[in-house]
Amino acid sequence: MKIIVITGTRKGIGKALAEYYLDAGWQVAGCSRGKSSIQHEAYTHFALDVSDEAAVIKMARTLKKQFGKVDALLNNAGIASMNHALLTPASTVNRILQTNVVGTFLFCREMAKLMRRTKAGRIVNFTTIAHPLNLEGEAIYAASKAAVESLTRILARELAELKITVNAVGPTPVETDLIRGVPADKMAALLARQAIQRIGDVQDVINVVEFFVRPESDFITGQVLYLGGVC
Amino acid sequence: MPNRSEIEALVLESVRQLAEDFEINALLTPTADSALYGGAGPLDSMALVNLIADVEEAVSEAFDASIALADEKAMSAKNSPYRNVSSLTEAVVERIAK
Repeated sequence: MKIIVITGTRKGIGKALAEYYLDAGWQVAGCSRGKSSIQHEAYTHFALDVSDEAAVIKMARTLKKQFGKVDALLNNAGIASMNHALLTPASTVNRILQTNVVGTFLFCREMAKLMRRTKAGRIVNFTTIAHPLNLEGEAIYAASKAAVESLTRILARELAELKITVNAVGPTPVETDLIRGVPADKMAALLARQAIQRIGDVQDVINVVEFFVRPESDFITGQVLYLGGVC
Repeated sequence: MPNRSEIEALVLESVRQLAEDFEINALLTPTADSALYGGAGPLDSMALVNLIADVEEAVSEAFDASIALADEKAMSAKNSPYRNVSSLTEAVVERIAK
């Protein structure tokens, strides 16, 4: 059985990805800071903060004991804060960097160790179109995802010898909690900067993730794919 | 808590298995003094990465302890914990004790 680890599975894109892979017959290990919102015999939940090094290591050890390996990792967990840079406190900066950068790194590091023997590991990280579009009001969120993109490209090289691919998907705004509260005029202006001017759907994200994860994609690594025609 | 000789035995077995997998003749019968990485050590960076992950897994299975052997200076420092079997054993002992 194939094992996939998905971070941030309580709601939104992470939950949809977990349900997609459960339907496809995978064993899914998910995590969030709270309790599970998914009830399925092939789903295992870990309540943890993705930036807590000890907790991530403990989760990896548990997976090793339970399943012996991990085939794929989706680093979906992320937080955003939309605010003018001059109004952004350091505590917010630290919180975003901890979850989006440190969390992504820790999961890459620990799960890559469990992918070594499969000789076909897959890591998909999550970035955002806010980075290439240099969106005002998202300085820290976009900067954190710029770090994730750099991490993706360098890990692709470092992990290539272990036959692990590392890629990233950059969604447009999708109807989730992450964008709730963004004013309508801001959203319209953002969509106007996309080549295909519509709000994204979870299925758009799943399509890219599935492309990176499938066995035939073993010659694709270090790539960042933005949705909506953003480049 | 495991004693030092139990941990050293575990490290030696991990090194021996790695030497078989990577066909590293110099480490097929390792001892506490066997050099691992840097200087005269026979491991390249990828073999070292695999060894560290193997030792972490073995520690978890044998002693039910979750440790990370990642170290800020490990890849370059003269006193790297990865330089030989004895120093790697010491690094494991320190982390299990924490």
